[in-house]
Amino acid sequence: MSYALGYIGRVTLNSLYASTSVCVLMVDTINWIFIHPFRGKGLRIKSTVEHFVEFGVRSVPIVAMICFLVGVIIAMQSAYTLAKFGASILIADLVSISALRELAPLMTAIIITGRNGSAITAEIGSMKVAEELDALKVMGLNTTKYLVVPKFLAMLLALPCVTLIAMLVMIFGGFLVGVFSLNITPEAYFEETAQALVNKDLISGLVKSFFFALVICWVGVYRGFQVTGGAEGVGKETTASVVTSIKLIIVVDLIWTFLFFKAAS
Amino acid sequence: MNTPPDNIIQVKDLIVKYGNHTVLNGINIDVKRGEILVILGGSGSGKSTLLRNMAGLMRPHAGHVIIDQQNFTAMSHFDRIEVRKTMGMCFQSSALFNSMTIGDNVAMPLREHTKLEESTIQIMTRIKLEQVGLGGCENHMPDELSGGMKKRAGLARAMAMDPKIIFYDEPSAGLDPIVAAEIDTLILDMQHAFGVSSIVVTHEMESVKLIADRVCMLHKGKVIALGTLDEVQETDHPFVQQFFARKPNPIDHNKENVLESLTNPE
Repeated sequence: MSYALGYIGRVTLNSLYASTSVCVLMVDTINWIFIHPFRGKGLRIKSTVEHFVEFGVRSVPIVAMICFLVGVIIAMQSAYTLAKFGASILIADLVSISALRELAPLMTAIIITGRNGSAITAEIGSMKVAEELDALKVMGLNTTKYLVVPKFLAMLLALPCVTLIAMLVMIFGGFLVGVFSLNITPEAYFEETAQALVNKDLISGLVKSFFFALVICWVGVYRGFQVTGGAEGVGKETTASVVTSIKLIIVVDLIWTFLFFKAAS
Repeated sequence: MNTPPDNIIQVKDLIVKYGNHTVLNGINIDVKRGEILVILGGSGSGKSTLLRNMAGLMRPHAGHVIIDQQNFTAMSHFDRIEVRKTMGMCFQSSALFNSMTIGDNVAMPLREHTKLEESTIQIMTRIKLEQVGLGGCENHMPDELSGGMKKRAGLARAMAMDPKIIFYDEPSAGLDPIVAAEIDTLILDMQHAFGVSSIVVTHEMESVKLIADRVCMLHKGKVIALGTLDEVQETDHPFVQQFFARKPNPIDHNKENVLESLTNPE
């Protein structure tokens, strides 16, 4: 009994500590983006652009490939059922709506978590282990301004951009299956897609991807600062970073899907 | 003209705890302007913790660190940055930024804290690297350098802003005697040429004999001796005598005690 109570207490205290640390980090980051730059403390534009290239531009090939294949897969899987009802043309609706509302933002976020969320944790963690964070502090450089803000801004810009590309590529995957395998004419497929989509589909997808970017960046950075010990600590926190990010991405996805669902009904 | 006060750093009643464990228990030390103070002590005596508190890398549980008449422990974030511009630190692991060249490492504080032209920064970087004997290495990456060269590059970076104080965390640990002697010479040069006050944590007795103006001995979180090396060596505290005589702690060979410690570690 006392063991169970102790466990609950420890878990609660650890969660409270983690939440407080994340909140402090959030407030500090927001300060360094919206307040300090206007007091002449500067923003690291060059570093932000470099991170944007890393998170955004360099992620495009892998995201495009995976999302294209997912588009093809959904089209083929759904063709099997829809063909029974003679409604193959609805594949265009199904692929485009699911791509915009759900699959493109989610797949992109998960790929970028694995690709860049882990890299953020590993970079900050290794810097901590090698005393580089202390070196920054002794030089009078703020770690939030120097390390967190550029990553944060770059991620907030990059993820929605890559998500847009992912949406297009996924629809293109469905289009190829529709045209070459189900003998739908390109014009009919295009028209059906255009009819099916409304602005809200796109907006809901992009809103989600914006919040996914917040999750990936904050979890990555927070875990990086939590690293203790040596190389093993970096490995542990990097794993934890990816696992936590994916969990939170799904939760955030659920919340937004629920909100959009409620708003529509 | 007013002469600057004698003490550049004053540590007052410093208490530092890790959880329930008290690492530093009421430390009082003054560091005089322009002197080299060496902090000695056994492993786990709190030397590095004291250095990190002086450099503002940790917040103490109680007590103050006063740097150049300003209360460093109690000041705001942006005031601390101003004070930090007047100090540098050489880390045990050098702590060079691995993603940057040596030149960029040294130039970084100048780029971040000054509005100097890039060409001036380049010249200053080359001068700093020349001073530590690394002229021409500015385009090398840190992992292309040996341990001693990294330490020297770390020193060049610490000196970039012409600091008044430099903290050294085990500067000669893991270096061969020749390179270690080179680092000692550099520490002395900094003192003679620029009047830099240095606080050095080290285990190397040869190095202590060469560089120390004063020595501070820590044991179990307290200062047990403070003065010149000769004065400290004459202190009759048993730990000081044991430390300088390099006497090991006796190993308990009593079978019952060993068995007791194995079966009941508390």
